[in-house]
Amino acid sequence: MAPAPASGPDTPFVPEPGRLARLALDAYAETAAEPPAGARDRLLAAARVRRGPAVRAGFAVSYAARVAAMDALLAGATPADWATVIVEGWTLQELVAHLAATDSLVAAAMGVRVTGPPIAADEVLSRTADVIAYQRDRDPALTRADWRAQAEAICARAVTMDAAVPVAPGGIGFPVGDHVLARMLETWIHTADAATVIGVPLPPPLPAHIHPTADFCARLVPLTMALSGMTPGAKALRLELTGSGGGTWHVPLDLSAPAAPHAGQPADVSITCDTVAFCFLLGGRGTPATFPADVDGDSGLAADVLTAAPALSGP
Amino acid sequence: MEAAGTTDDRSLHQRVVGGDEDALGELHERFYPLVLGLALRITRDRLVAEDIVQEVFVTFWERPLAFDPDRGSLRSWLATIAHRRAVDHVRAEERRRVAALGPRLTEPEPSPLEDWVLAADEAARVRTAVSRLPGGLREAIELAYYRGRTYRQTAEELGLPEGTVKSRIRLGLRKLADALADEEV
Repeated sequence: MAPAPASGPDTPFVPEPGRLARLALDAYAETAAEPPAGARDRLLAAARVRRGPAVRAGFAVSYAARVAAMDALLAGATPADWATVIVEGWTLQELVAHLAATDSLVAAAMGVRVTGPPIAADEVLSRTADVIAYQRDRDPALTRADWRAQAEAICARAVTMDAAVPVAPGGIGFPVGDHVLARMLETWIHTADAATVIGVPLPPPLPAHIHPTADFCARLVPLTMALSGMTPGAKALRLELTGSGGGTWHVPLDLSAPAAPHAGQPADVSITCDTVAFCFLLGGRGTPATFPADVDGDSGLAADVLTAAPALSGP
Repeated sequence: MEAAGTTDDRSLHQRVVGGDEDALGELHERFYPLVLGLALRITRDRLVAEDIVQEVFVTFWERPLAFDPDRGSLRSWLATIAHRRAVDHVRAEERRRVAALGPRLTEPEPSPLEDWVLAADEAARVRTAVSRLPGGLREAIELAYYRGRTYRQTAEELGLPEGTVKSRIRLGLRKLADALADEEV
């Protein structure tokens, strides 16, 4: 607390400006004012015109929220921001084109009409090159609008689909719900990339939106190990993800059964780490060798799990 | 008297960033009196003030990442935008009325990332309004706000139950709001 200025009976006490401002705000907050009839609806209508809300999205709800968050970042982007290199040598505009490109493969697999040029090859890198070439000379506002419209179409389609239906965009076969979680994670990570470079603070997703993504990442662990050529055999991991949206999973590492909430099963190794950091490690952000985690049990196996974690991450 | 960046602020902010319209509705409900009271104090025009209220919330909705919960409270942020919009309006009106004389340059532009600070004339008005409050309300307000005492400390110093002090402060704030809305102060 700041020391009070000296005051005596003859000198009126002068409060510091911050306290006076707080008092004024508290007083204004007590203004006897009710919003006029219909004010809330008029507000929402005006707000929608300036930035679309997250669409009702069924199993794609966490993805819809990340799309809205990226869109909020783009709403404040200056022409200089759009031309700033964010990641992989891509400017912000090219990064949005890349998101739209990868989204478009999922969109096509879901039967959603894609934006941008027709899909020539069902593969992320060549599709990205095509969409970047298509978007490069356009107004960034159009790139943003194309990306957002396609993302919203994916969310709208998700409402009518069963999340368990298998689809294989880019030749990778998963339930469609998991593909959308992968889009959530990539959109989140690239929004964080852009926020870091541009210098705006990005709040994390809601815990209820992080949790299914963390679950998806836990379920990917055996696959990342297999892709990395590691075959631990009939071993199991207890994965405790701490912080917002976390939980504890039992992960058989031999692909015998999917990861499930931990219910006391014995495990060969226990890894405890931050939920968001773990999701980002799977997404190719962070260094496995120095990844902050508490390990209990087979430390070599833990090192293998963490080393393999980014195996599925692409640009 | 909550601290900057409360959980509530953060959660509402997260929801607005994630495009949750219901969060915008909750924000509107909670901060409407604050933003309207502030806009009304500066513009003296109910219809203009209501337009400013809408614009403040739409601005926050459109660019929620301009707000950083680590650097201040949501209400300071909304107050800052409301203050700026209201001052802009008053200046534009003055320019329209007395084009030859140019704008009145009395109030500095508040910085969006700093906590809200009162302009000098506004600060003087608040202090005058406090000094005119009935004695019991004034004492409680002065201890709680000028001296930064908690409710409990204020109650101890005044030898009153904490509940009584809370009601006095609440009533004092309402009377202050009325006084600040009054042209005379």
